[in-house]
Amino acid sequence: MRLFLIFILGFCLVGCTKPEPLYNTQSYVFGTLVDITIFGEPEARAQEISNQIIHEFQSLHNRLHAWRPSELMTINHAFRQSSVAVAIQPDVAAMIADATKLSIQSKGTFNPAIGGLIEAWGFHHDEFKPIKVDENKISNLVKANPQMTDIIIQNGKVFSNNPSVQLDLGGYAKGYALDIALVYLHKHGVKNALINIGGNIIALGKHGEKPWRVGIQHPRKPNAIATLDLESGWAIGTSGDYQRYFELNGKRYCHIIDPATGYPVQNVQAVTVLIPPKNNAGTLSDVASKPIFIAKPETRAEVAKAMEVENFLVVESANKILVSTAMVKRITWLDKDAANHVVQIQP
Amino acid sequence: MTHSIINNKSIHISTTAEDHHIAKLTAFAIGLHILEAVIPSPLPGVKPGIANIVTLYVLYEYGFATAAWVSLLRVFASSLLLGQFLSPTFILSLSGALMSLGTLYLAQHLPKKYFSAITLSIFAAFGHITGQLIIVRLWLIPHTGVSYLVPVFALSALIFGLINGLIVSKLLTSNH
Amino acid sequence: MLQIMLFKFSHNHNFPKLLVGDWLIVITSFVLVIFMFQQFWSFEHASKLKIRQGNQIIGIFDLNQMRELHINGPMGESIIVINHGMVRFKQSPCHNQYCVHQGWLSHAGQVAICLPNQISLQLMGGKNIYDSLNY
Repeated sequence: MRLFLIFILGFCLVGCTKPEPLYNTQSYVFGTLVDITIFGEPEARAQEISNQIIHEFQSLHNRLHAWRPSELMTINHAFRQSSVAVAIQPDVAAMIADATKLSIQSKGTFNPAIGGLIEAWGFHHDEFKPIKVDENKISNLVKANPQMTDIIIQNGKVFSNNPSVQLDLGGYAKGYALDIALVYLHKHGVKNALINIGGNIIALGKHGEKPWRVGIQHPRKPNAIATLDLESGWAIGTSGDYQRYFELNGKRYCHIIDPATGYPVQNVQAVTVLIPPKNNAGTLSDVASKPIFIAKPETRAEVAKAMEVENFLVVESANKILVSTAMVKRITWLDKDAANHVVQIQP
Repeated sequence: MTHSIINNKSIHISTTAEDHHIAKLTAFAIGLHILEAVIPSPLPGVKPGIANIVTLYVLYEYGFATAAWVSLLRVFASSLLLGQFLSPTFILSLSGALMSLGTLYLAQHLPKKYFSAITLSIFAAFGHITGQLIIVRLWLIPHTGVSYLVPVFALSALIFGLINGLIVSKLLTSNH
Repeated sequence: MLQIMLFKFSHNHNFPKLLVGDWLIVITSFVLVIFMFQQFWSFEHASKLKIRQGNQIIGIFDLNQMRELHINGPMGESIIVINHGMVRFKQSPCHNQYCVHQGWLSHAGQVAICLPNQISLQLMGGKNIYDSLNY
């Protein structure tokens, strides 16, 4: 009997001391940090799969680059010459169609056609300087009203009715890449992984026995403001004024521009959205936060509803944090100061 | 309190009964300080500070200036007797005492109708740990790990400040 | 004997009375102490630092030391300082200096990144608070 117990104990100890098969790699793609974590695969396989995914990301990044020679720039060049058509790859065509649908759904606040405005603010560089923007230029660009609906795709070719349309898929591509990565992982039988592209995260499976847990960056401190569990297939994305911005005369100018005014949004620090499993969960986690970020404060809940987002969090300032009812129970606050300034809203 | 008479033969310093009494209290304070130094405490820096009982008692009976003398004399004399003069322990003791006295200087005028020795004792205790934490953080352990100790010190300041205050209060009332 | 002493003590009308102001101070101090525990005992202090450049792990460093590290990235050299439980980017060749502006990090899970120079600092404590950071 004693021998049997010792045997069982030994067995348990062996089980306990086995290291967790967790593989993690970081790379710099999409002009940002990409973090891939795979659980439960032998290291060599995890490494190979990660490398492939990074490779796909790099390829996508190069094809969709908004200011270096790329497929997208070729398209933009053609657009500027109005009604000149260029050939377009089926996947890019699908992206444009999808982005158009989302742009309409957001009533134009999500507008990848405003590449001209983004460039005018100096954000078409890896590093950007504070600039005193040309107000006339901005108002002209706004008046020109570039819209996704100005783009026509026919017979494998694309052209634009409006020469001011300049595509910048910055608010779309990272999310799209997450969806691509998930498809790849499914195809290769990986059951548990966590992919983070510049802060946008999608989850697959679990971290061993527990769900994957993600932290949400505090817009103004180097800490996480809260954590939540990301279940399989769920994606999370944040639009923030602290990721790409410059300060001029004490004011902050971030890279998220309101297409209606042509100026960067200044009344909110961060918007986080949580998207349940679906084919384009990743894409939506990137796209859906923007309309809420750009919306007038009183209409944020309404806009979230229009984007079919039930779980969202808005940090307007240190003293005002809005959290949707569905999101409230998912969040574990780490920052006590923040936790004390939460207002619950119904979408 | 003391005054000196210089005549052509010698310098004669006459002492009053009050002086004797204060000297005894100072000696008592030194004794308490040394007693406390000898008894080990579970956590570094957490001590009951019983010598402060004397400081407070003197404050009420003889005024702030005397209390300051007694307190500082106690710090210097104890450190000399313990062989700790100019050591880190001495610096900590001194900074604690100075900050504690500073706090008392400000708090001493609180209306006695509402605030007794208990309040002053708690103030003095918090002043004491503040002085010590400043030295610790700036000089001895420039490590953020120090912040772990802050709540512990604060709690001990509250508890011992309260206890010492009760003792002083009792001593004062039993005297009058 | 003990019972008589206790009886005498508890019925001793010389037990010092707490005045109004005293109660105020005692309660305020108590609240302050609770607050201190909440503030200072809520974060886990980091013990180790993981530095990555590109997709390489440069090393895992102990935070309990005073040390300056020079790490080379595609833009040039970044200087990272470890100072007894804290770490920060002291200097970096990037233009926007976001990494330097993050200041000192000291809690487990905190991260500072110099994107242009592809260097990331990650503080690790006993346990991970989360698997990945959304930003």
